[in-house]
Amino acid sequence: MTRLFLTTALVAGMALPALAVQPAEGEKLAENQSYTFWLLDAIKTADPQKNTDVEGSDIIRQLFEGLLNEDEKGAPIPGVATGFDVSDDKLTYTFHLRPEAKWSNGDPVTAHDFVYSWQRLANPETASEYAWFMELMNVENASAVVKGEKQPGELGVKALDDHTLEVRLTAPTPYFPKMVTHGSTFPVNQKVVEAEGDNWTQPGKLVGNGAYVLKSHDLGVQISMEKNPEYWDAGNVVMERIKGLTVNDNNVALTRYQAGELDRVQIPAGQYPRLKEQFPDQAVSIPYSCTYAYLLNVSEKGPEALKDVRVRKALSYAMQRDVVVNQILQGGQKPAYNWTHWAIEGFQMPEIDYASWSQAERLEKAKALLAEAGYGPDKPLKLTLQYNTDENHKKIAVAAQQFYKQIGVELTLNNVEWKVHTDRMQSQDFEMARYAWCADYNEASTFLDYFRSTGMNYGKYSNPEFDRLMDQSKTSEDPNVQYTAAEKILAEDMPLVPVYQYSKVDMIRDDIKGLPTENVMNDWYAKDIYRIQK
Amino acid sequence: MFGFILRRLAVAIPTLLLLIVVSFLLMHAAPGGPFTQERALPPQVLANLNAKYGLDEPLWRQIVNYVWGIVAHFDFGPSFVYPDRSVNQIIAAGFPVTLTYGGIAFVAAVAVGVALGVAAAIRQNSWMDYLAVGISIGAQVLPNFVMAPILVLVFTLWLGWLPGGGWGGPIYWIMPVVALSTSFMASIARITRSSMLEVLGSNHIRTARAKGLPERAVILRHALKPAMLPVISYLGPAFVTMITGSVVIDMYFSTGGIGRSFVDSALNRDYAVMMGITILVGALTILFSLVVDVLYAWIDPKIRY
Repeated sequence: MTRLFLTTALVAGMALPALAVQPAEGEKLAENQSYTFWLLDAIKTADPQKNTDVEGSDIIRQLFEGLLNEDEKGAPIPGVATGFDVSDDKLTYTFHLRPEAKWSNGDPVTAHDFVYSWQRLANPETASEYAWFMELMNVENASAVVKGEKQPGELGVKALDDHTLEVRLTAPTPYFPKMVTHGSTFPVNQKVVEAEGDNWTQPGKLVGNGAYVLKSHDLGVQISMEKNPEYWDAGNVVMERIKGLTVNDNNVALTRYQAGELDRVQIPAGQYPRLKEQFPDQAVSIPYSCTYAYLLNVSEKGPEALKDVRVRKALSYAMQRDVVVNQILQGGQKPAYNWTHWAIEGFQMPEIDYASWSQAERLEKAKALLAEAGYGPDKPLKLTLQYNTDENHKKIAVAAQQFYKQIGVELTLNNVEWKVHTDRMQSQDFEMARYAWCADYNEASTFLDYFRSTGMNYGKYSNPEFDRLMDQSKTSEDPNVQYTAAEKILAEDMPLVPVYQYSKVDMIRDDIKGLPTENVMNDWYAKDIYRIQK
Repeated sequence: MFGFILRRLAVAIPTLLLLIVVSFLLMHAAPGGPFTQERALPPQVLANLNAKYGLDEPLWRQIVNYVWGIVAHFDFGPSFVYPDRSVNQIIAAGFPVTLTYGGIAFVAAVAVGVALGVAAAIRQNSWMDYLAVGISIGAQVLPNFVMAPILVLVFTLWLGWLPGGGWGGPIYWIMPVVALSTSFMASIARITRSSMLEVLGSNHIRTARAKGLPERAVILRHALKPAMLPVISYLGPAFVTMITGSVVIDMYFSTGGIGRSFVDSALNRDYAVMMGITILVGALTILFSLVVDVLYAWIDPKIRY
């Protein structure tokens, strides 16, 4: 058995007495340590095992703490666990929990709490929409427990003693440590959950082990939290109060930011250049791990034309990504020629031929390919693009219609409501569909697994060579080799039209420090944030 | 009259039942469900969810269970999208908010609207008439989704007088009330003006003036009451609309009212929340159309039920 300290970041983190980000030399802390952030929607739940939303995760990350946290670059660092061992076959992880970790009611946080919570996630009785995450983590018996074939007690997670947690996996999972920074793996307090039932997440009842405790939560209005004095590292937490304000309209949210009511807000599409010029210290654009694309339906139910790789390539070549990025979005997003977000840790971008061509070259090639496939002025290719209701999706779709006109493709736009859009994609009832994928963890497999024959894969793309590479990657010393090769296959088969890779484009007040600017997952911890005196 | 009210209430029950069944079926006919997500759930997870919320039962059974829950326990079920909240809790949190700003907006709209309408009618074709008509047309053509962001811009960003949203004391009520009431106020003013003009030209007003009553008494005692009839038939549904919330107000001012919950529940296929609010709105509509009918009889002695 080898003792592993994850990464150098972990070692560095452990060498320091304090893990929280600390004010830099010469920075004076402000009197008022409060931080108000923007929420687009109501928070659906503060229950770690029931949450499904990004915004819900942001809340849960403050109220609870998992085995590992992320540093400002997204690398795993100690959380409740101080470190872990991995067995030689890479199938058993043993986490060592810090004895000083406490719940907000003063009880110690133990390995049993993690066992309970992980079983709770997989237990069919919980009916968690994220139960599949336990399967994605390859925890032993996870699928059987979710299916109800085995008891939750048979899940491959065990408390060896109060402070040692053993996890058994069914397959080596290189990204496993990154997955335990995900909110669905955070511990909940068994006593409280069982005593209070579905109401246990209400203010006053909720017991967490995070750096903050829940003060109030008005659905769709605001949620506020205060520093938790019981948190094991409370001495290094500077920020006293944090508050999320729900504003359903992004433009109004920006106005309220400018009026001083918010410390951070997203910038609506197209406004970044103006704001950057006006407020250079506040407008920021940070790479964000999502990719925007048009999925092509290559299944039996899809149109005949899309079964021809020449047509698919022509559609991808004719997409004028620079126009989308520079004229429509204008927020530092990058044109996408592949599926995995460029900033994912360790990912090596393959050389993709058409990425280096000029748009004129791409157009020429697209026209030639379409002609080869038998489409031309006398037999124009007609396709329908389905997208869900949203101002930005609409702008891009209208632009795409123009781009495709230039190669003689008649694109019909079909705008539907979100649930209808999703339902149709899932039943392969579409030709081209707007889609976006966001990483679950900071590793390329979260993107590439999508296009496996058994993956989510709404367009039903299938290539045995691609599947083989992705299987290989699971046990590979350096899976990034396989990821790069897999991307090359996608570029050859083109089951999608990649459009752009996201940036998080925000206004952040310049006296707020400690928010991550290099974490492509954009996960933030309020315990690392502080406000300086201006 | 008493018999009439009883009869109307008796009809209300089957009406509500019909409303429940029809909305239930329509809702389930819409594509997608509460657990349809960008990332399709594994079949087993979906099955577990459906079992937990009783969605695996045949539709007729679901309806029966649902209605029984309401009748026997006044329980509108759990929300499918907000797993820690029940529909009762969501409505109990949101409805008082909506009732507050909607109620105030209603009173404001009626007071200002009627005053403007009467003022315009008694000074027809004078500057006062033009001003009143101008104001009401202005209020009518400025939809609240345009007015709301403008209010925030002016009163929050430029002047810094009012909070840009949220819910708390009266200072949070001002902008929602203004944004919600203006278009209703404009409609009330227009209806009042035209109805008042009609009444002022009628025989009994000429008689009242001929016998030498002061103009003030003519307007207040003889003209206002009959002129209110068409206004009242407009106010019944308007009142229900206002107190059951406006998605625009909830969206722009983050008030947390049920208007937003209603629209969200439809988009999220949060069946139980949607049903709960539908029933609430339905019941209020039935109740207030009854109130309007009763008011009619009180105002116009010619009307008998």
